[in-house]
Amino acid sequence: MMGEKRLGRGAFLSVVGAGGAGLLFGDRITSALRGPIADAGAVVPNAIKAVFPSGWRIYAINPPWPTFHPQTYQLEITGLVRKPMTLTWSDVAALPAVAQTTTFHCVTGWTVGNVHWKGVRLQTLWDMVEPLPSARYINFVSMERDYVDTLSMSQSTLPEVMLAHTMGGAPLSRAHGAPIRLVIPEMYGYKNVKWLHRIELVPHLHPGFWEQNGYDVDAWVGRSNGY
Amino acid sequence: MYVRRFWPEERSLHWLLAFTFLLMLATGLILYLPVFAELAANRRLWKSLHLGAAIAFWAGLVVLLASDTRGRLHQTAGEIDRFDDDDVRWLRWAVTRRGLEPPQGRFNAGQKLNTAIVFGLLVVFTASGVLMYLQETDAAVRGRTSAILVHDIATWIAVPLIVGHLFLVLVNPSTRHSLRGMVLGSVRRDWARRHHPKWDGE
Repeated sequence: MMGEKRLGRGAFLSVVGAGGAGLLFGDRITSALRGPIADAGAVVPNAIKAVFPSGWRIYAINPPWPTFHPQTYQLEITGLVRKPMTLTWSDVAALPAVAQTTTFHCVTGWTVGNVHWKGVRLQTLWDMVEPLPSARYINFVSMERDYVDTLSMSQSTLPEVMLAHTMGGAPLSRAHGAPIRLVIPEMYGYKNVKWLHRIELVPHLHPGFWEQNGYDVDAWVGRSNGY
Repeated sequence: MYVRRFWPEERSLHWLLAFTFLLMLATGLILYLPVFAELAANRRLWKSLHLGAAIAFWAGLVVLLASDTRGRLHQTAGEIDRFDDDDVRWLRWAVTRRGLEPPQGRFNAGQKLNTAIVFGLLVVFTASGVLMYLQETDAAVRGRTSAILVHDIATWIAVPLIVGHLFLVLVNPSTRHSLRGMVLGSVRRDWARRHHPKWDGE
């Protein structure tokens, strides 16, 4: 007489159960293991890292990505300033730079820790162009058509805000917004405009691309967009 | 000469899953892997295809179940659920490769286990995928579950299963004849006797 086991539904239910437990507790388990995982990651060759996900997901709205040409690139700083300026790439690269290591949070739920940035504080630019008292907001305009996001003047000089041109010790890649992107770790990624080429100082707030699609203007990490 | 192995209902379900899953895998990898990130600059297109394939699978499954008036799929599910002593011995044999292969029915125990795990993964993919979709737009869902992590891990489990499955049906000489069964429905009688001796082949 043959015994009979319902192993099929057992396997099915085990997978579903493990998935459900993962949905509830997965992030807590991985954050407890973060130290050992990071240690293991340090010995993985860069070629393998390039193929496998690093935690970054690149979002763009209007493909293909803009291409940076060092010879023709210009960064325009315009609007309510005493001395409007147009900087070439070599001008931008020559500005005094600072470094920082910060965490990048995306509003869709993923986070990349320990990102090493190097770039220019906005105060450095403000000292050059001399904003007028009527300038209250800044539009950061991307080379990617129709992508723009904003900060208030006071947000632009928060301690960790910069125009980054170096990431992880290398020039900012095309995927991450070459040649420069806005970095504001205090806010979600959609404020961190990639492929930046124009900075406009304006008297009134113009909501940015995602803000026109329902996201919060003040995208504080952990304190906006329903978090 | 040939005996029927798979009913049209089973083959329809298999190919529905095969095509929609491969489309989801391809579009999912485009959205996921950095080397494809530039293609994914058109994120909306890949995302629509990815979600469209998922909807097509579940809609197709509902249609197949509704039109399966002979209850073939229900019967198949029962066959996949039940493991007899030979099946349990076969799983052990598949790992140790010691002794003779225990005789198997129409599905061997590996095929049963694979099918059960794949259907479990489909539920996990769908639940985590729905949560990922919702958390992109709905603040109340965001950050509440580990949906991205679970969807990623499910992919890393599913991919080796698919690769193994493709190896057995396309490459491995002794098993690749089974592809004929899934395409045309029938397999050679002598092959069936050798691989599935407990299946009477009607």
